[in-house]
Amino acid sequence: MQAQDILAGLEKAVITGNKADSIKFAKESLEVGVKALDAIDKGLVKGMTIVGDKYAKHEYFLPQVLLAANAMYGGLDVLLPHIPKAEADKKVVGVIGVVEGDVHDIGKNIVKTMFTASGLDMHDLGKDVPTETFVNSVKSQKAGLIAMSTLMTPTMDGMKAVVDGLIESGDRMKVKIIIGGAPTSQPFADDIGADWHAINAQEAVKKVKGAL
Amino acid sequence: MADTMNHIERAVAALGDKPVDRLTAYPLAMGVCRRVVGDGKMTYRDWVSDPKKFASAFIEGQKRFDFDFAIGLMDLSVAAGDMGSVVRMDDQNTPFVTDPALKTVEDYEKLTVPDVKKGRSHVLVEGTGLFVQALGSQLITAAFLEGPLLSLTQAASAEKVFMDMYNNRSAVHKALKTITEYNGDMVKAMGAKKPAGLVWDYLWGSYSCLGDAEYEEFEGQYARGLNELTGKEGMAMCIHNCADLPHLDTQIKAFKPAIYSMAYYPLIPGSPSPKETIEKGYADNCLIGGQIDPQGFVRWSQEKMQKTTMNLCQEVKTALCARGLHSRYCIASGCEVPPAVTTRLENIKECVDTVKQYGQVKC
Repeated sequence: MQAQDILAGLEKAVITGNKADSIKFAKESLEVGVKALDAIDKGLVKGMTIVGDKYAKHEYFLPQVLLAANAMYGGLDVLLPHIPKAEADKKVVGVIGVVEGDVHDIGKNIVKTMFTASGLDMHDLGKDVPTETFVNSVKSQKAGLIAMSTLMTPTMDGMKAVVDGLIESGDRMKVKIIIGGAPTSQPFADDIGADWHAINAQEAVKKVKGAL
Repeated sequence: MADTMNHIERAVAALGDKPVDRLTAYPLAMGVCRRVVGDGKMTYRDWVSDPKKFASAFIEGQKRFDFDFAIGLMDLSVAAGDMGSVVRMDDQNTPFVTDPALKTVEDYEKLTVPDVKKGRSHVLVEGTGLFVQALGSQLITAAFLEGPLLSLTQAASAEKVFMDMYNNRSAVHKALKTITEYNGDMVKAMGAKKPAGLVWDYLWGSYSCLGDAEYEEFEGQYARGLNELTGKEGMAMCIHNCADLPHLDTQIKAFKPAIYSMAYYPLIPGSPSPKETIEKGYADNCLIGGQIDPQGFVRWSQEKMQKTTMNLCQEVKTALCARGLHSRYCIASGCEVPPAVTTRLENIKECVDTVKQYGQVKC
Protein backbone atom coordinates (compact mmCIF):
# COMPACT_ATOMS: atom_id res chain seq x y z
CA MET A 1 0.00 0.00 0.00
CA GLN A 2 1.24 3.50 -0.84
CA ALA A 3 2.10 5.94 1.92
CA GLN A 4 -0.64 8.32 0.79
CA ASP A 5 -3.23 5.55 1.01
CA ILE A 6 -2.06 4.66 4.50
CA LEU A 7 -2.28 8.28 5.64
CA ALA A 8 -5.77 8.50 4.14
CA GLY A 9 -6.61 5.27 5.96
CA LEU A 10 -5.49 6.74 9.27
CA GLU A 11 -7.52 9.87 8.65
CA LYS A 12 -10.61 7.87 7.76
CA ALA A 13 -10.17 5.55 10.72
CA VAL A 14 -10.35 8.53 13.05
CA ILE A 15 -13.27 10.14 11.26
CA THR A 16 -15.24 6.92 11.38
CA GLY A 17 -14.13 6.08 14.92
CA ASN A 18 -12.59 2.78 13.87
CA LYS A 19 -9.86 1.97 16.39
CA ALA A 20 -8.91 -1.34 14.82
CA ASP A 21 -8.24 0.34 11.47
CA SER A 22 -6.33 3.11 13.16
CA ILE A 23 -3.99 0.59 14.78
CA LYS A 24 -3.71 -1.39 11.56
CA PHE A 25 -2.81 1.62 9.41
CA ALA A 26 -0.43 2.96 12.09
CA LYS A 27 1.49 -0.32 11.97
CA GLU A 28 1.46 -0.33 8.17
CA SER A 29 2.76 3.23 8.07
CA LEU A 30 5.81 2.20 10.06
CA GLU A 31 6.30 -0.89 7.90
CA VAL A 32 6.45 1.15 4.69
CA GLY A 33 8.76 3.75 6.20
CA VAL A 34 6.38 6.64 6.85
CA LYS A 35 7.81 8.78 9.64
CA ALA A 36 5.79 8.38 12.81
CA LEU A 37 5.40 12.13 13.14
CA ASP A 38 4.03 12.35 9.58
CA ALA A 39 1.60 9.51 10.23
CA ILE A 40 0.36 11.37 13.28
CA ASP A 41 0.13 14.82 11.71
CA LYS A 42 -1.02 13.89 8.21
CA GLY A 43 -3.22 11.01 9.24
CA LEU A 44 -4.52 10.94 12.80
CA VAL A 45 -4.45 14.65 13.54
CA LYS A 46 -5.89 15.52 10.16
CA GLY A 47 -8.78 13.19 10.88
CA MET A 48 -9.29 14.55 14.39
CA THR A 49 -9.31 18.11 13.08
CA ILE A 50 -12.10 17.18 10.70
CA VAL A 51 -13.97 15.55 13.57
CA GLY A 52 -13.55 18.72 15.64
CA ASP A 53 -14.90 20.82 12.78
CA LYS A 54 -17.87 18.51 12.35
CA TYR A 55 -18.60 18.70 16.07
CA ALA A 56 -18.47 22.49 15.96
CA LYS A 57 -20.98 22.44 13.10
CA HIS A 58 -23.25 19.97 14.96
CA GLU A 59 -22.71 17.37 12.27
CA TYR A 60 -21.02 15.13 14.81
CA PHE A 61 -22.04 14.73 18.44
CA LEU A 62 -20.35 13.39 21.55
CA PRO A 63 -20.57 9.68 20.68
CA GLN A 64 -18.81 10.20 17.35
CA VAL A 65 -16.19 12.47 18.92
CA LEU A 66 -15.45 9.94 21.66
CA LEU A 67 -15.15 7.10 19.18
CA ALA A 68 -12.85 9.23 17.02
CA ALA A 69 -10.70 10.05 20.04
CA ASN A 70 -10.53 6.39 20.93
CA ALA A 71 -9.41 5.59 17.40
CA MET A 72 -6.81 8.34 17.47
CA TYR A 73 -5.33 7.10 20.72
CA GLY A 74 -5.18 3.58 19.27
CA GLY A 75 -2.99 4.85 16.46
CA LEU A 76 -0.96 7.08 18.74
CA ASP A 77 -0.11 4.16 21.01
CA VAL A 78 1.55 2.51 18.02
CA LEU A 79 3.26 5.59 16.63
CA LEU A 80 4.42 7.63 19.61
CA PRO A 81 7.22 5.23 20.67
CA HIS A 82 8.73 5.75 17.21
CA ILE A 83 9.04 9.52 17.41
CA PRO A 84 12.72 10.48 17.80
CA LYS A 85 13.39 11.79 21.31
CA ALA A 86 14.62 15.13 19.97
CA GLU A 87 11.28 15.67 18.22
CA ALA A 88 9.27 14.53 21.21
CA ASP A 89 11.20 16.88 23.50
CA LYS A 90 10.16 19.86 21.37
CA LYS A 91 6.53 19.40 22.34
CA VAL A 92 5.01 21.57 25.02
CA VAL A 93 3.89 19.41 27.92
CA GLY A 94 0.39 19.98 29.19
CA VAL A 95 -1.29 18.44 32.20
CA ILE A 96 -5.03 18.21 32.39
CA GLY A 97 -7.48 17.09 35.01
CA VAL A 98 -10.79 17.55 36.77
CA VAL A 99 -10.34 19.34 40.07
CA GLU A 100 -10.73 17.69 43.46
CA GLY A 101 -14.27 16.75 44.41
CA ASP A 102 -15.54 16.36 40.86
CA VAL A 103 -15.57 13.30 38.62
CA HIS A 104 -17.25 14.67 35.49
CA ASP A 105 -14.53 14.08 32.94
CA ILE A 106 -16.13 13.78 29.54
CA GLY A 107 -15.39 17.39 28.63
CA LYS A 108 -11.86 17.10 29.97
CA ASN A 109 -11.27 14.03 27.82
CA ILE A 110 -12.41 15.83 24.69
CA VAL A 111 -10.22 18.83 25.44
CA LYS A 112 -7.29 16.49 26.06
CA THR A 113 -7.89 14.84 22.70
CA MET A 114 -7.98 18.15 20.87
CA PHE A 115 -4.85 19.39 22.65
CA THR A 116 -3.09 16.15 21.71
CA ALA A 117 -4.24 16.56 18.14
CA SER A 118 -2.88 20.09 18.15
CA GLY A 119 0.60 18.87 19.03
CA LEU A 120 0.81 19.13 22.79
CA ASP A 121 2.22 16.31 24.87
CA MET A 122 -0.70 15.85 27.23
CA HIS A 123 -0.53 14.13 30.60
CA ASP A 124 -3.90 13.23 31.99
CA LEU A 125 -4.11 13.55 35.76
CA GLY A 126 -7.63 12.14 35.71
CA LYS A 127 -10.57 13.25 37.79
CA ASP A 128 -10.96 14.29 41.43
CA VAL A 129 -7.35 15.49 41.25
CA PRO A 130 -5.88 16.89 44.48
CA THR A 131 -4.53 20.44 44.37
CA GLU A 132 -0.98 19.37 45.11
CA THR A 133 -0.97 16.95 42.16
CA PHE A 134 -1.65 19.84 39.79
CA VAL A 135 0.91 22.02 41.54
CA ASN A 136 3.61 19.35 41.59
CA SER A 137 3.08 18.58 37.90
CA VAL A 138 4.95 21.70 36.88
CA LYS A 139 8.14 20.19 38.27
CA SER A 140 7.40 16.48 37.85
CA GLN A 141 6.12 16.71 34.27
CA LYS A 142 7.87 19.93 33.26
CA ALA A 143 4.44 21.18 32.29
CA GLY A 144 4.05 24.42 30.39
CA LEU A 145 0.29 24.25 30.51
CA ILE A 146 -2.22 23.30 33.17
CA ALA A 147 -5.80 22.70 32.06
CA MET A 148 -8.46 22.26 34.73
CA SER A 149 -12.14 21.60 34.49
CA THR A 150 -15.12 21.21 36.73
CA LEU A 151 -18.80 20.80 36.06
CA MET A 152 -19.89 21.57 39.58
CA THR A 153 -20.09 24.88 41.35
CA PRO A 154 -18.91 23.73 44.79
CA THR A 155 -15.60 22.52 43.36
CA MET A 156 -14.75 25.68 41.44
CA ASP A 157 -12.73 26.93 44.39
CA GLY A 158 -10.36 24.03 43.76
CA MET A 159 -9.16 25.87 40.67
CA LYS A 160 -8.20 28.88 42.76
CA ALA A 161 -6.42 26.58 45.20
CA VAL A 162 -4.26 25.32 42.34
CA VAL A 163 -3.38 28.83 41.17
CA ASP A 164 -2.60 29.87 44.74
CA GLY A 165 -0.51 26.72 45.20
CA LEU A 166 1.52 27.53 42.11
CA ILE A 167 2.17 31.05 43.39
CA GLU A 168 3.27 29.60 46.70
CA SER A 169 5.58 27.08 45.04
CA GLY A 170 7.10 29.77 42.86
CA ASP A 171 6.03 28.01 39.66
CA ARG A 172 3.15 30.23 38.56
CA MET A 173 5.19 32.08 35.95
CA LYS A 174 6.46 28.85 34.42
CA VAL A 175 3.06 27.68 33.33
CA LYS A 176 -0.04 28.88 31.52
CA ILE A 177 -3.39 27.98 33.07
CA ILE A 178 -6.64 27.40 31.23
CA ILE A 179 -9.93 26.47 32.87
CA GLY A 180 -13.25 25.21 31.57
CA GLY A 181 -16.52 23.59 32.54
CA ALA A 182 -20.11 24.76 32.58
CA PRO A 183 -20.07 26.97 35.68
CA THR A 184 -16.77 28.68 34.84
CA SER A 185 -16.28 31.88 32.89
CA GLN A 186 -13.57 34.30 31.85
CA PRO A 187 -14.41 36.66 34.74
CA PHE A 188 -13.98 33.71 37.09
CA ALA A 189 -10.66 32.85 35.41
CA ASP A 190 -9.60 36.46 35.88
CA ASP A 191 -10.71 36.43 39.51
CA ILE A 192 -8.65 33.39 40.42
CA GLY A 193 -5.60 34.36 38.37
CA ALA A 194 -5.86 31.82 35.55
CA ASP A 195 -4.79 32.87 32.07
CA TRP A 196 -7.74 31.75 30.04
CA HIS A 197 -11.21 30.33 30.08
CA ALA A 198 -12.60 28.39 27.13
CA ILE A 199 -16.18 27.45 26.42
CA ASN A 200 -15.26 24.38 24.41
CA ALA A 201 -12.35 22.30 23.13
CA GLN A 202 -11.97 24.26 19.92
CA GLU A 203 -11.68 27.54 21.75
CA ALA A 204 -9.26 26.02 24.23
CA VAL A 205 -6.95 24.90 21.43
CA LYS A 206 -7.21 28.26 19.71
CA LYS A 207 -6.29 30.17 22.85
CA VAL A 208 -3.47 27.88 23.87
CA LYS A 209 -1.92 27.41 20.43
CA GLY A 210 -1.92 31.14 19.87
CA ALA A 211 0.12 31.70 22.99
CA LEU A 212 2.49 28.76 23.41
CA MET B 1 -45.94 46.12 44.96
CA ALA B 2 -48.10 43.82 47.08
CA ASP B 3 -49.14 40.46 45.68
CA THR B 4 -52.85 40.17 45.01
CA MET B 5 -52.88 36.47 44.11
CA ASN B 6 -51.68 33.60 46.24
CA HIS B 7 -49.01 31.21 45.00
CA ILE B 8 -51.39 28.61 43.65
CA GLU B 9 -53.63 31.15 41.94
CA ARG B 10 -50.63 32.79 40.28
CA ALA B 11 -48.95 29.55 39.22
CA VAL B 12 -52.15 28.02 37.87
CA ALA B 13 -52.86 31.22 35.95
CA ALA B 14 -49.33 31.25 34.55
CA LEU B 15 -49.61 27.61 33.47
CA GLY B 16 -52.73 28.59 31.53
CA ASP B 17 -51.28 31.90 30.35
CA LYS B 18 -53.95 33.88 32.13
CA PRO B 19 -53.30 37.39 33.49
CA VAL B 20 -51.36 37.39 36.77
CA ASP B 21 -50.55 39.97 39.43
CA ARG B 22 -46.88 39.32 38.63
CA LEU B 23 -44.65 36.73 37.03
CA THR B 24 -43.99 33.59 39.01
CA ALA B 25 -40.61 33.24 40.70
CA TYR B 26 -38.61 30.17 41.62
CA PRO B 27 -34.83 30.26 41.85
CA LEU B 28 -34.09 26.52 41.92
CA ALA B 29 -33.01 26.53 45.54
CA MET B 30 -33.09 22.96 46.79
CA GLY B 31 -29.95 21.69 48.50
CA VAL B 32 -28.97 25.18 49.56
CA CYS B 33 -32.14 25.43 51.66
CA ARG B 34 -30.70 22.91 54.13
CA ARG B 35 -28.81 25.97 55.36
CA VAL B 36 -32.00 27.67 56.54
CA VAL B 37 -33.06 24.70 58.67
CA GLY B 38 -32.38 24.89 62.41
CA ASP B 39 -28.87 26.03 63.22
CA GLY B 40 -27.94 25.99 59.52
CA LYS B 41 -25.37 23.25 59.96
CA MET B 42 -27.16 20.32 58.36
CA THR B 43 -24.70 18.41 56.17
CA TYR B 44 -25.49 17.37 52.65
CA ARG B 45 -25.05 13.77 53.72
CA ASP B 46 -27.78 14.14 56.30
CA TRP B 47 -30.04 16.04 53.96
CA VAL B 48 -30.03 13.33 51.28
CA SER B 49 -30.31 10.44 53.72
CA ASP B 50 -33.33 11.34 55.81
CA PRO B 51 -36.80 12.06 54.37
CA LYS B 52 -37.69 14.44 57.20
CA LYS B 53 -34.50 16.42 56.79
CA PHE B 54 -34.92 16.48 53.02
CA ALA B 55 -38.47 17.82 53.36
CA SER B 56 -37.50 20.31 56.04
CA ALA B 57 -35.32 22.24 53.60
CA PHE B 58 -38.28 22.84 51.28
CA ILE B 59 -40.56 23.77 54.16
CA GLU B 60 -38.12 26.17 55.80
CA GLY B 61 -36.94 27.46 52.43
CA GLN B 62 -40.52 28.39 51.61
CA LYS B 63 -40.86 30.33 54.86
CA ARG B 64 -37.65 32.20 54.20
CA PHE B 65 -37.94 32.88 50.48
CA ASP B 66 -41.65 32.69 49.57
CA PHE B 67 -41.33 30.82 46.27
CA ASP B 68 -44.16 30.08 43.84
CA PHE B 69 -43.16 26.43 43.36
CA ALA B 70 -41.40 23.67 45.26
CA ILE B 71 -39.60 21.01 43.22
CA GLY B 72 -37.97 18.05 44.94
CA LEU B 73 -34.55 17.81 43.34
CA MET B 74 -32.17 15.85 45.56
CA ASP B 75 -29.13 15.15 43.33
CA LEU B 76 -28.40 13.20 40.16
CA SER B 77 -26.93 10.09 41.73
CA VAL B 78 -30.00 8.69 43.48
CA ALA B 79 -30.80 6.04 40.89
CA ALA B 80 -27.15 5.25 40.13
CA GLY B 81 -26.48 4.71 43.83
CA ASP B 82 -29.40 2.36 44.16
CA MET B 83 -28.10 0.46 41.13
CA GLY B 84 -24.91 -0.21 43.07
CA SER B 85 -22.65 2.70 42.14
CA VAL B 86 -20.44 4.14 44.85
CA VAL B 87 -21.70 7.60 45.71
CA ARG B 88 -19.42 9.98 47.55
CA MET B 89 -21.21 12.02 50.18
CA ASP B 90 -19.34 15.04 51.40
CA ASP B 91 -20.54 17.36 54.12
CA GLN B 92 -21.02 20.37 51.87
CA ASN B 93 -20.91 19.05 48.33
CA THR B 94 -23.58 17.51 46.12
CA PRO B 95 -23.27 13.71 46.26
CA PHE B 96 -21.74 12.23 43.12
CA VAL B 97 -20.78 8.86 41.71
CA THR B 98 -17.12 7.95 42.18
CA ASP B 99 -17.31 4.33 41.06
CA PRO B 100 -20.00 3.49 38.52
CA ALA B 101 -21.73 0.16 38.98
CA LEU B 102 -21.87 -0.73 35.29
CA LYS B 103 -18.41 -1.42 33.94
CA THR B 104 -18.90 -4.07 31.27
CA VAL B 105 -21.38 -4.92 28.57
CA GLU B 106 -22.55 -7.80 30.74
CA ASP B 107 -23.27 -5.35 33.54
CA TYR B 108 -25.78 -3.55 31.32
CA GLU B 109 -27.53 -6.80 30.67
CA LYS B 110 -27.45 -8.04 34.25
CA LEU B 111 -28.81 -4.79 35.66
CA THR B 112 -31.93 -5.38 37.74
CA VAL B 113 -34.66 -2.92 38.65
CA PRO B 114 -33.77 -1.21 41.95
CA ASP B 115 -36.41 -1.49 44.65
CA VAL B 116 -37.95 1.96 45.08
CA LYS B 117 -38.83 1.09 48.66
CA LYS B 118 -35.15 0.94 49.55
CA GLY B 119 -32.09 3.17 49.44
CA ARG B 120 -32.17 6.79 48.50
CA SER B 121 -35.04 6.19 46.07
CA HIS B 122 -37.11 5.58 49.18
CA VAL B 123 -35.71 8.68 50.90
CA LEU B 124 -36.58 10.73 47.83
CA VAL B 125 -40.13 9.41 47.58
CA GLU B 126 -40.86 9.77 51.27
CA GLY B 127 -39.16 13.14 51.54
CA THR B 128 -41.12 14.39 48.55
CA GLY B 129 -44.31 13.14 50.17
CA LEU B 130 -43.53 15.06 53.35
CA PHE B 131 -42.94 18.41 51.72
CA VAL B 132 -45.91 17.91 49.40
CA GLN B 133 -48.05 17.27 52.47
CA ALA B 134 -46.71 20.39 54.17
CA LEU B 135 -46.73 22.77 51.22
CA GLY B 136 -49.23 21.36 48.76
CA SER B 137 -52.08 23.58 49.91
CA GLN B 138 -49.93 26.71 49.52
CA LEU B 139 -48.10 26.28 46.25
CA ILE B 140 -47.52 24.03 43.27
CA THR B 141 -45.29 21.13 44.28
CA ALA B 142 -43.48 18.68 42.04
CA ALA B 143 -41.38 15.56 42.38
CA PHE B 144 -38.07 15.37 40.51
CA LEU B 145 -36.57 12.34 38.75
CA GLU B 146 -33.61 11.71 36.51
CA GLY B 147 -34.49 10.56 33.02
CA PRO B 148 -33.38 7.06 31.97
CA LEU B 149 -30.36 8.11 29.93
CA LEU B 150 -29.16 10.42 32.69
CA SER B 151 -29.46 7.61 35.23
CA LEU B 152 -27.59 5.25 32.94
CA THR B 153 -24.76 7.69 32.32
CA GLN B 154 -24.47 8.19 36.08
CA ALA B 155 -24.38 4.43 36.66
CA ALA B 156 -21.94 3.62 33.87
CA SER B 157 -20.15 6.94 33.10
CA ALA B 158 -21.23 9.11 30.21
CA GLU B 159 -18.17 8.31 28.13
CA LYS B 160 -18.77 4.59 28.31
CA VAL B 161 -22.45 4.90 27.48
CA PHE B 162 -21.85 7.21 24.53
CA MET B 163 -19.29 4.88 23.01
CA ASP B 164 -21.43 1.85 23.69
CA MET B 165 -24.30 3.51 21.85
CA TYR B 166 -22.38 2.45 18.74
CA ASN B 167 -20.30 -0.47 19.95
CA ASN B 168 -22.84 -2.28 22.12
CA ARG B 169 -26.15 -0.82 21.10
CA SER B 170 -28.44 -3.63 22.21
CA ALA B 171 -26.83 -3.85 25.65
CA VAL B 172 -27.37 -0.14 26.17
CA HIS B 173 -31.02 -0.55 25.24
CA LYS B 174 -31.35 -3.45 27.63
CA ALA B 175 -30.09 -1.27 30.48
CA LEU B 176 -32.31 1.62 29.43
CA LYS B 177 -35.34 -0.66 29.48
CA THR B 178 -34.47 -1.77 33.02
CA ILE B 179 -33.99 1.81 34.16
CA THR B 180 -37.24 2.86 32.49
CA GLU B 181 -38.97 0.14 34.48
CA TYR B 182 -37.42 1.55 37.65
CA ASN B 183 -38.51 5.03 36.60
CA GLY B 184 -42.03 3.74 36.08
CA ASP B 185 -42.03 2.39 39.64
CA MET B 186 -40.78 5.75 40.87
CA VAL B 187 -43.51 7.60 38.97
CA LYS B 188 -46.14 5.43 40.62
CA ALA B 189 -44.56 5.88 44.05
CA MET B 190 -44.36 9.63 43.55
CA GLY B 191 -47.91 9.75 42.20
CA ALA B 192 -49.13 8.23 45.44
CA LYS B 193 -47.68 11.23 47.28
CA LYS B 194 -49.88 13.57 45.23
CA PRO B 195 -47.53 16.30 44.07
CA ALA B 196 -49.08 18.52 41.40
CA GLY B 197 -46.32 17.71 38.95
CA LEU B 198 -43.26 15.60 38.24
CA VAL B 199 -40.13 17.09 36.70
CA TRP B 200 -37.97 14.90 34.49
CA ASP B 201 -34.31 15.78 34.11
CA TYR B 202 -33.64 15.08 30.44
CA LEU B 203 -30.32 16.87 30.19
CA TRP B 204 -28.80 14.78 27.41
CA GLY B 205 -31.23 16.39 25.01
CA SER B 206 -28.53 18.87 24.06
CA TYR B 207 -27.06 19.52 20.64
CA SER B 208 -23.65 19.74 22.32
CA CYS B 209 -24.10 16.08 23.24
CA LEU B 210 -26.53 14.23 21.01
CA GLY B 211 -28.19 14.76 17.67
CA ASP B 212 -31.89 14.25 17.09
CA ALA B 213 -31.50 10.65 15.96
CA GLU B 214 -29.38 9.56 18.93
CA TYR B 215 -31.58 11.42 21.37
CA GLU B 216 -34.72 9.80 20.03
CA GLU B 217 -33.17 6.34 20.04
CA PHE B 218 -31.54 6.50 23.46
CA GLU B 219 -33.96 8.63 25.43
CA GLY B 220 -36.88 9.93 23.41
CA GLN B 221 -38.57 6.58 22.93
CA TYR B 222 -38.28 5.79 26.63
CA ALA B 223 -39.21 9.29 27.75
CA ARG B 224 -42.46 9.28 25.80
CA GLY B 225 -43.80 6.36 27.79
CA LEU B 226 -42.68 7.89 31.08
CA ASN B 227 -44.20 11.24 30.17
CA GLU B 228 -47.50 9.55 29.47
CA LEU B 229 -47.33 7.56 32.69
CA THR B 230 -46.66 10.76 34.62
CA GLY B 231 -49.96 12.18 33.41
CA LYS B 232 -51.79 8.92 34.08
CA GLU B 233 -50.56 8.99 37.66
CA GLY B 234 -52.14 12.40 38.12
CA MET B 235 -49.10 14.64 37.82
CA ALA B 236 -48.40 17.39 35.33
CA MET B 237 -45.38 16.35 33.27
CA CYS B 238 -42.56 18.89 33.47
CA ILE B 239 -38.99 18.89 32.18
CA HIS B 240 -35.74 20.36 33.42
CA ASN B 241 -32.80 20.59 31.08
CA CYS B 242 -29.94 22.84 32.08
CA ALA B 243 -27.66 21.72 29.26
CA ASP B 244 -26.62 24.14 26.55
CA LEU B 245 -28.39 23.98 23.19
CA PRO B 246 -31.41 21.98 24.39
CA HIS B 247 -33.60 20.01 22.00
CA LEU B 248 -36.49 22.43 22.36
CA ASP B 249 -38.53 21.16 19.44
CA THR B 250 -38.52 17.66 20.85
CA GLN B 251 -38.68 18.43 24.54
CA ILE B 252 -41.21 21.29 24.38
CA LYS B 253 -43.13 21.01 21.12
CA ALA B 254 -43.26 17.22 20.90
CA PHE B 255 -43.20 16.16 24.56
CA LYS B 256 -45.59 19.00 25.56
CA PRO B 257 -44.54 19.52 29.19
CA ALA B 258 -46.52 21.87 31.43
CA ILE B 259 -43.27 23.48 32.61
CA TYR B 260 -39.85 23.55 30.94
CA SER B 261 -36.91 24.74 32.98
CA MET B 262 -33.82 25.75 31.03
CA ALA B 263 -30.53 27.61 31.24
CA TYR B 264 -29.01 30.31 29.08
CA TYR B 265 -25.35 30.25 28.04
CA PRO B 266 -24.61 33.62 26.47
CA LEU B 267 -21.12 32.56 25.43
CA ILE B 268 -22.36 29.59 23.42
CA PRO B 269 -23.52 30.50 19.93
CA GLY B 270 -27.11 29.41 19.44
CA SER B 271 -28.00 29.21 23.13
CA PRO B 272 -31.51 30.66 23.23
CA SER B 273 -31.99 33.74 25.40
CA PRO B 274 -35.25 34.21 27.32
CA LYS B 275 -36.45 36.62 24.63
CA GLU B 276 -35.62 34.24 21.80
CA THR B 277 -37.23 31.33 23.63
CA ILE B 278 -40.50 33.25 23.85
CA GLU B 279 -40.20 34.74 20.33
CA LYS B 280 -39.78 31.28 18.82
CA GLY B 281 -43.03 30.11 20.35
CA TYR B 282 -41.72 27.80 23.05
CA ALA B 283 -43.81 29.60 25.70
CA ASP B 284 -46.98 29.41 23.63
CA ASN B 285 -48.15 26.26 25.36
CA CYS B 286 -45.61 25.73 28.11
CA LEU B 287 -44.50 27.67 31.17
CA ILE B 288 -40.81 28.39 30.60
CA GLY B 289 -38.60 28.65 33.67
CA GLY B 290 -35.24 30.39 33.57
CA GLN B 291 -32.68 31.88 32.94
CA ILE B 292 -30.70 33.68 35.62
CA ASP B 293 -27.11 32.48 35.81
CA PRO B 294 -26.98 30.25 38.91
CA GLN B 295 -23.44 31.43 39.57
CA GLY B 296 -24.89 34.86 40.26
CA PHE B 297 -26.30 33.54 43.51
CA VAL B 298 -22.73 32.91 44.64
CA ARG B 299 -20.78 35.67 43.00
CA TRP B 300 -23.01 38.69 42.57
CA SER B 301 -23.76 41.46 45.01
CA GLN B 302 -27.36 41.84 46.09
CA GLU B 303 -27.56 44.95 43.91
CA LYS B 304 -26.40 43.03 40.88
CA MET B 305 -28.91 40.28 41.55
CA GLN B 306 -31.65 42.89 41.77
CA LYS B 307 -30.56 44.55 38.54
CA THR B 308 -30.22 41.25 36.70
CA THR B 309 -33.64 40.09 37.86
CA MET B 310 -35.20 43.44 36.92
CA ASN B 311 -33.65 43.25 33.47
CA LEU B 312 -34.86 39.68 33.01
CA CYS B 313 -38.38 40.66 34.11
CA GLN B 314 -38.36 43.48 31.57
CA GLU B 315 -37.00 41.27 28.78
CA VAL B 316 -39.58 38.60 29.50
CA LYS B 317 -42.52 40.99 29.84
CA THR B 318 -41.67 42.70 26.55
CA ALA B 319 -41.31 39.38 24.76
CA LEU B 320 -44.50 37.94 26.26
CA CYS B 321 -46.51 41.00 25.21
CA ALA B 322 -45.03 40.97 21.72
CA ARG B 323 -46.06 37.33 21.42
CA GLY B 324 -49.57 38.01 22.75
CA LEU B 325 -48.92 36.06 25.95
CA HIS B 326 -49.69 37.04 29.52
CA SER B 327 -47.67 35.06 31.99
CA ARG B 328 -46.03 31.87 30.70
CA TYR B 329 -42.60 32.53 32.11
CA CYS B 330 -41.24 31.85 35.57
CA ILE B 331 -38.24 33.88 36.70
CA ALA B 332 -35.90 31.13 37.80
CA SER B 333 -32.30 30.06 37.78
CA GLY B 334 -31.39 28.00 34.76
CA CYS B 335 -29.87 25.29 36.94
CA GLU B 336 -29.98 24.57 40.63
CA VAL B 337 -28.81 27.45 42.78
CA PRO B 338 -25.39 26.18 43.88
CA PRO B 339 -25.95 24.37 47.17
CA ALA B 340 -22.52 25.48 48.41
CA VAL B 341 -21.84 27.19 51.70
CA THR B 342 -20.66 30.21 49.72
CA THR B 343 -24.03 30.80 48.06
CA ARG B 344 -25.46 34.09 49.24
CA LEU B 345 -28.87 33.38 50.69
CA GLU B 346 -29.73 37.07 50.46
CA ASN B 347 -29.48 36.81 46.68
CA ILE B 348 -32.20 34.15 46.60
CA LYS B 349 -34.49 36.45 48.58
CA GLU B 350 -33.49 39.39 46.42
CA CYS B 351 -34.42 37.53 43.24
CA VAL B 352 -37.89 36.65 44.54
CA ASP B 353 -38.49 40.10 46.02
CA THR B 354 -37.45 41.80 42.80
CA VAL B 355 -39.96 39.74 40.83
CA LYS B 356 -42.62 40.78 43.35
CA GLN B 357 -41.70 44.39 42.76
CA TYR B 358 -41.03 44.45 39.02
CA GLY B 359 -42.77 41.38 37.65
CA GLN B 360 -46.14 42.91 36.79
CA VAL B 361 -47.09 42.28 33.17
CA LYS B 362 -49.03 45.13 31.56
CA CYS B 363 -49.21 44.72 27.82
